[in-house]
Amino acid sequence: MSKTIYPDSNIPAELSVEVIREDSLRPTRKWGRSTQIWLGCLLMVAGWGLYAYIHQLRHGLGETAMRNYVSWGLYISTFVFFIGISHSGTLVSAILRITKQDWRMPITRIAELMTFVSLLFGGIMPIIDLGRPDRIANLVIFGRVQSPLMWDVMSILTYFTGSTIFLWLPMIPDMALSRDRLTVCDSRFKKFRKWLYTKLAIGWTGSKTQWKRLELVMTIMTIVIIPVAVSVHTVVSYIFAMTLRPGWNSTVFGPYFVAGALYSGSAIVILAMVVFRKLYHLEKYITYRHFDLMGRVVLALTLIYAYLNLNEYWIPAYKMATAEGHLLHDLFSGSYSTAFWLCQFGTVLFPIIVMCFPKGRTPGMLAFICSLIAVGAWVKRYLIVVPTLLHPFLPIQDVPQDWAQYFPNWVEWSVTMGALSGILIVITLYAKLFPMMSIWEVVHGAKVEENKRIATEKGEHEEEELLKAESVHAKTSKGKTTIVMANGNK
Amino acid sequence: MNIMKIFSITTAAVLLCGVSFAQAQKSESSIQLSFSKKTDNSKIVNALVMGKKSGEKFSPAKNAHISFYAKKEKELVLITKSITDGQGKTNALLPKDLPLDTGRYFGITVKLENDSVYENSEEELRLKDVNLAIQLNPHDTARIMTATVTEITADGNVKGVKDVPINFYVQRLFGIMPAAEEHTVNTNEKGEAVFSFPKGIPGDTAGNMTVVARIDDNDMYGTVESQSPCAWGKVVPLEKDPFPREIWGAQAPWGLIITLSILYGGVWFCYFFMFFQLRKIKTEEDLTVNS
Amino acid sequence: MQEDNKKDNKKDNKNNRRDFLRKSLITGGVLAAGAIGLEKVFSKEGEKTSTDDTTVFTRDGKVFRADMECLHEYKAPPVTNEEARKGIAGKKFVMVFDLAKCDGCKKCTEACQAMHFTEPDREWIKVYKMKDAETTAPYYMPKPCFHCDNPPCTKVCPVGATFKRQDGIVLIDDERCIGCRSCLAACPYSTRFFNWSDPIQPVAVANIPYSPEHGFPRQRGTSEKCDFCPHMIREGKMPACVTGCPMQTIYFGDQNEDAVTNSAGVTVKLSQLLEDNSAYRYMEELGTEPRVYYLPPKNRKYPKPDMESIGKEKKDDGKKPNSDMGNMVM
Ligand code: SF4
Ligand code: SF4
Repeated sequence: MSKTIYPDSNIPAELSVEVIREDSLRPTRKWGRSTQIWLGCLLMVAGWGLYAYIHQLRHGLGETAMRNYVSWGLYISTFVFFIGISHSGTLVSAILRITKQDWRMPITRIAELMTFVSLLFGGIMPIIDLGRPDRIANLVIFGRVQSPLMWDVMSILTYFTGSTIFLWLPMIPDMALSRDRLTVCDSRFKKFRKWLYTKLAIGWTGSKTQWKRLELVMTIMTIVIIPVAVSVHTVVSYIFAMTLRPGWNSTVFGPYFVAGALYSGSAIVILAMVVFRKLYHLEKYITYRHFDLMGRVVLALTLIYAYLNLNEYWIPAYKMATAEGHLLHDLFSGSYSTAFWLCQFGTVLFPIIVMCFPKGRTPGMLAFICSLIAVGAWVKRYLIVVPTLLHPFLPIQDVPQDWAQYFPNWVEWSVTMGALSGILIVITLYAKLFPMMSIWEVVHGAKVEENKRIATEKGEHEEEELLKAESVHAKTSKGKTTIVMANGNK
Repeated sequence: MNIMKIFSITTAAVLLCGVSFAQAQKSESSIQLSFSKKTDNSKIVNALVMGKKSGEKFSPAKNAHISFYAKKEKELVLITKSITDGQGKTNALLPKDLPLDTGRYFGITVKLENDSVYENSEEELRLKDVNLAIQLNPHDTARIMTATVTEITADGNVKGVKDVPINFYVQRLFGIMPAAEEHTVNTNEKGEAVFSFPKGIPGDTAGNMTVVARIDDNDMYGTVESQSPCAWGKVVPLEKDPFPREIWGAQAPWGLIITLSILYGGVWFCYFFMFFQLRKIKTEEDLTVNS
Repeated sequence: MQEDNKKDNKKDNKNNRRDFLRKSLITGGVLAAGAIGLEKVFSKEGEKTSTDDTTVFTRDGKVFRADMECLHEYKAPPVTNEEARKGIAGKKFVMVFDLAKCDGCKKCTEACQAMHFTEPDREWIKVYKMKDAETTAPYYMPKPCFHCDNPPCTKVCPVGATFKRQDGIVLIDDERCIGCRSCLAACPYSTRFFNWSDPIQPVAVANIPYSPEHGFPRQRGTSEKCDFCPHMIREGKMPACVTGCPMQTIYFGDQNEDAVTNSAGVTVKLSQLLEDNSAYRYMEELGTEPRVYYLPPKNRKYPKPDMESIGKEKKDDGKKPNSDMGNMVM
């Protein structure tokens, strides 16, 4: 394979359609030993988490470290964190789609997958946190729409449905491809795969009308998913901001949470990019340029997040109102100060400085920076939830010792780690079943690049014309270019 | 089960020990009495028994066995026996034909005797039996209320009792509230006390309430009270909408419902439109033109 | 049809339970052994049910005594859930604390705990030692639920398990609560408690039919708080804390009647009491509109609280008591 990569190109132009297809499909066809070991380990952790949860179900929430003052702990912090990561898909996929950023193409699938799994487990966390999960039906029977928690339920359900569709829509042509090329597959689950791909491809043949419909549906979805995503994290912040508690009673909480979500979400996408680039040998597709651009995105989001952090802490710190003041003292110089300042400097300021330099936006550096950001975002969620609960308006007096302090105990850690490995299991299974790149989009991107190249070489600027000429399947409809692909071996 | 048996036996043993110990050293005791006569002429003696272990403060005596006696000439006639409650309180309804002495006084003696925990003690009460009646015109706009205190003399005549302080109250949910700041009027020669009832005291939805005239804890008469309903209260209308559509209410405000319906309805409409389109993709399978 | 059967069965069950309870109460003593793990419950035989004490073992083996005195009142079925949600028409209950009289003896807490069979660490009415600033005077402040008129806790409940009634009382329906604890987070006054584990309660209590009006028997995974004793109010009696206060600090009554009564039975005009003593509501600026008023601790009748002693009092659970001062100025 040629090493030539056009300086401003996203995908090496000379890659043929066939190579792209095979590069994407190859990893899904084999379950190596390492995959099995990895999955086995994850299943063990998840099983342990499940055991801890069953233990909690049997003996009640009293088995956790939560008590009357700190009535929400690690579970709810994790919930907020997971919902935060789920913003990655929308950002990379929908926003870049809407702004016609062609370089997004090899990474949209990864981003959308992150959204899907983190929402799946984010949605489970509050249920784990319930005292009476057996009464969950009450939410429907007696639901009150005045409750922010109800908004959460509605928004998360809506967003989950939306992001599932959003993940699936661009998969349809790829599913048809997978279905058609199943003969090459050496997997033991051929029958199952056949069935799965056929179902998911919903009879895709790549006809003109089908492409038109898919195009329409994608456009609608891209537009709809953005406000839905914003609403989700806004209402997640509302379960805190709608109370009168010092530290939560804040008007910037909505945007603050959304910014925090985008910041952590995009960092997670970069992490996933690094991992899949290495494991699936996608270096040709996910290039330094992608990292550079994503690095800029994360940098911008981190700056926004830092700005909102300033608002969230500097404004009350300037005023030092009584109750808020006690909380802030605890955060700035009290028992939570180490974690707080590490979060602010280590995972906000430091990444900003590093990512300002082009050298800081290489895959290696970004992997490091983004891990920092991910951990920092998680700890920050914890610092939003717990210290406030420990600083009520009325003093904590003469209560059992364990009421006035909080650190998650083994049950909470196990369940949370179980959920985390659940996320990884779903990602692994997905990556072993479906192509991690949106093949048809990447092919499209390659063609666009190719045409650009030819256009510059020929010194002609009638790209439309050339597109038509070069691509057998390119059709122009209503003045808009639509790339149509044939479906290969049928 | 065995464990439980042993457990209960042990408990019983501990209890017995406690009892025998208590018998060896009984607590000091004291009784306080008060008398009240209600509108329906029922007479009640309330007793409060306090006990005190050596070296401690007096506190209410639970489960003390006490007996109520009426004084008939020089003898004591048993009325009833009772056991005090957790607050050390108990009471006895006096019989209608309570023996009176020549001065129209009656005597009640309450004894705490032969109790396993407390030492014996007794207390006596000697009061005069008077009647208290109130007259008022419930719809009188002048709101004049007259309370009359009478006694039956030895020769059977009814005679007003003068100079008895009478307090005027209104009945509230958990007690009686002075009807005005100056709510005490002394009876005149005829035994009458006239009180003009103030405006503005809330009644029920129709302005109804109960007014009370009362001789309070009098050394000579005890507590004698008489009640009467009237419509002198300020009308307090029922809340028009006790369960408003509020954020905190059981039902959401319309604005919220409409906003949420539009927002979520819109999104879900898009979803369903999409499903519709996708179904079409499926049905178009046959129309394949692979060009 | 099936549904009806089910309902009937349920009713029968309840009646059976009630009958059983009545019988056992009439027989007098109940020797009950509940074996839920380590928790053993028993009550000794007494001459009169009203004075039975029940000893209950907490999880860590400590003993606390539940006064069974109130038991006799629950042999009658409580009001229906629907009525309990509506409340008493035409009433608006208020509570007034005369802080000048409070000597911090915690008798109100004790009375409340006996009335509701609470575990010792759940203080539905809690007596705080307050000192607002370095230079201001310390005082005792008993704090029940404020039964706010703009209740943050009720707003956030996703299932309407906590609700505000027409008589102003905010209650929790433990049979509906899903245990999300939004309300614990939302109440700015730390009033609510959560049943994190299986509740420790005498078997006789566990057999009482549940009503939101008295909040027991408790159920794991649900929240609880001060309820203004509506089951007592229905009997024309005042809440346990009010009658239990030896200093006559607490007044309770109906705002519509403009009267409040204290434990000595002294009934005063509410509006005048509030006016004459410049009453205030705690943290008025939060806009929760509490139904509980405080009269400032002027001309106190008790020695001032010893702020040093906070956290040094012995706790029943044997654990090291907490000395976190929260938002308190020392
Ligand atoms: S004090 Fe707290 S629990 Fe009580 S009504 Fe107000 S917000 Fe709700
Ligand atoms: S814990 Fe129960 S009462 Fe409180 S908000 Fe949740 S469901 Fe409502």
